[in-house]
Amino acid sequence: GGTAGRLKALDAFLLYVLLTGALQFGYCLGVGTFPFNSFLSGFISAVGSFILGVCLRIQINPQNKGEFQGISPERAFADFLFANTILHLVVINFVG
Amino acid sequence: SAGPRLRLEAALGFLLVLAGAQALVPSHRLAAGDLARLRAVLERPFPDVRAAYHSIVGLSSLGVRVADEKAACKFIKSHVDSSSVESLFYAAQSMQVLSGCEVTISNETRELLLAAVSEDSSVSQIFHAVGALSGFGLPLASQEALSALTARLSKEESVLGTIQALETASYLSQQADLSSIVEEIEDLVARLDDLGGVYLQFEEGIETTALFVAAAYKLSDHVGTEPAIKEDQVIQLMNAIFSKKNFETLSEAFSIARAAGSLSQNRFHLPVVVVPEGPAAVSHHQPVLRLQVTNVMSQLLTQVSVKLDQAKSVSSKATVLQQLPFTLSGDFFELNFMNVKPASGYYDFSISVDGDKRFIANKVELKVKVSTEVGITNVDLSTVDKDQSIAPKTTRVAYPAKAKGSFTADSHQNFALSFQLIDVNSGAELIPHQTFVRLHNQKTGQEVVFVAEPDSKNVYKFELDTSERKTEFDSASGTYTLYLIIGDATLENPILWNVADVVITFPEEDAPSTVQSKNLFVPKPEIQHLFREPEKRPPTVVSNTFTALVLSPLLLLLILWIKIGANISNFSFAPSTIVFHMGHAAMLGLMYVYWTQLNMFQTLKYLAILGGITFLAGNRMLAQKAVKR
Repeated sequence: GGTAGRLKALDAFLLYVLLTGALQFGYCLGVGTFPFNSFLSGFISAVGSFILGVCLRIQINPQNKGEFQGISPERAFADFLFANTILHLVVINFVG
Repeated sequence: SAGPRLRLEAALGFLLVLAGAQALVPSHRLAAGDLARLRAVLERPFPDVRAAYHSIVGLSSLGVRVADEKAACKFIKSHVDSSSVESLFYAAQSMQVLSGCEVTISNETRELLLAAVSEDSSVSQIFHAVGALSGFGLPLASQEALSALTARLSKEESVLGTIQALETASYLSQQADLSSIVEEIEDLVARLDDLGGVYLQFEEGIETTALFVAAAYKLSDHVGTEPAIKEDQVIQLMNAIFSKKNFETLSEAFSIARAAGSLSQNRFHLPVVVVPEGPAAVSHHQPVLRLQVTNVMSQLLTQVSVKLDQAKSVSSKATVLQQLPFTLSGDFFELNFMNVKPASGYYDFSISVDGDKRFIANKVELKVKVSTEVGITNVDLSTVDKDQSIAPKTTRVAYPAKAKGSFTADSHQNFALSFQLIDVNSGAELIPHQTFVRLHNQKTGQEVVFVAEPDSKNVYKFELDTSERKTEFDSASGTYTLYLIIGDATLENPILWNVADVVITFPEEDAPSTVQSKNLFVPKPEIQHLFREPEKRPPTVVSNTFTALVLSPLLLLLILWIKIGANISNFSFAPSTIVFHMGHAAMLGLMYVYWTQLNMFQTLKYLAILGGITFLAGNRMLAQKAVKR
């Protein structure tokens, strides 16, 4: 279906971000923290993206329509893009 | 509450009274060397009339005449510029000082000078004009000049201008009411900066301060009123002006010379300087304290009476002498202090100089040292048995002989030394600052120093117990030479006396394996610099593997999206959609370029542009989608 499909695609994205973050963390635990700033940058990118993705998912879920009266799905998506831009600006600054 | 505040005010008041009670004494003056340097600067050949003025008038303030007065007179006459009021001023003042230097002034010049004395000229011009007219002996309307000066002063507020006004007023007739100008002295004093309570000077510098002193006293002498400068302030001014020992410019030297002249010859305040001959110290060989009394220019004042108000011992605070006059012998005032047979030590002398009611700073405090010679008596060296089974063996030694034979100190017996110190001249007991017992190991060069302490009867005792003192000696047994060191600031004969030899034996087990002489001055072992080691990096294989691993979820995502059937069929090719996607892609590309090349400022610039475009396009696109929905 249309709506459920959209959420499924988002869930797949969230899974991807989760795996990426977990693998980075595993590397840090196993091999070492050098260079630490790069690890932090990548990990925070994963964590931040995951959180923003979850926020988007909550906001565009039709079942939660009652909670978000003033926010259309399009608006939620635009917010998601904007927040991601700022997050990744900082991440790229820090990755070194 | 009133109680604590009243107490605070009382305490502050008390402190102020204490501070005031300490009269200020000059710390700087023109000593002979300074005078010579000043004269050297002033006696340089002068290139122009201004320099001539500074040299001639400066030297005359010091009481010195120019070497060749005729040549100076000729020089001024040939170099004066009759069209410049300033040049005429310099010429007039210089010629007044030189003997037999006369000149006739043309009517033109006179008119020029008189015209300059008006409200339209600056204070400086009025000063020069009035000074020139006075110097040439030409008539001058004092009242007019005074009103022009007062009017001008109220417009110009500079310190130098006011100082020049003071000097200008000193050329005017006493019949005119100069009180308004005289009041300026007080205002100027208020503008002086107090530096640490010792110096008082204008922020414009020492030259200005010196010119002020000269002008203030010149005017005060002229009108016959004491200048509104307090005694302490005069001393502070003196300290500031004569603290300069190197005179960079001729005008600075001139100003200091004039200040010196003023302070040594005026009708109201004459600072007095009391200088002891050499260090203020007396002893049996040198019982007389000799002082010189001079003015600020180191000129001797002999028509004065110098009196010792009181002499108090610093240590016991007892007054040993009161109200005794000094006797004049040649250039010096003398007092034989040893007549009262003072004990050795330091004494505070309160001396007053009288003879002229103009004297200031004429009460001085002087710290005088009384030295003596020390004698060592009753020197007993003994070996004391620890078990006290055998009676101690005592040997008496007389300074400066050395005791025959050697003494032992080991586990059974201690070595003891006792002595007394007396003042050879008075027989009184002395407690000097330094009473050391030095033991010097003849073989290793080691030395250990102890302090001998006096007991209640002022008998010095020193005891060497080998078990107590083995750490100081590093348990090095051997023959040690014993020295007695006596010293003090008030002793003329410090003593270093080789008293005896002492064989010290420490228990065997404590003896050091090798006796190392601790030489502090050999080169130390070299330090190799360790550069910061770079952090350990994992092998390239590992990091490459992990890079591939971390990118693999992306593959998974694509597969999942295809499986879910994410439809891109709804993709409309509307312009806003295309622009949005391209803008967004560009923003992602910008992130990559930022990582590799740009800095934050450039990135933000580009991001603003791309972001703006993307936002507008995205807004349109999403709105269209919402409408479709």
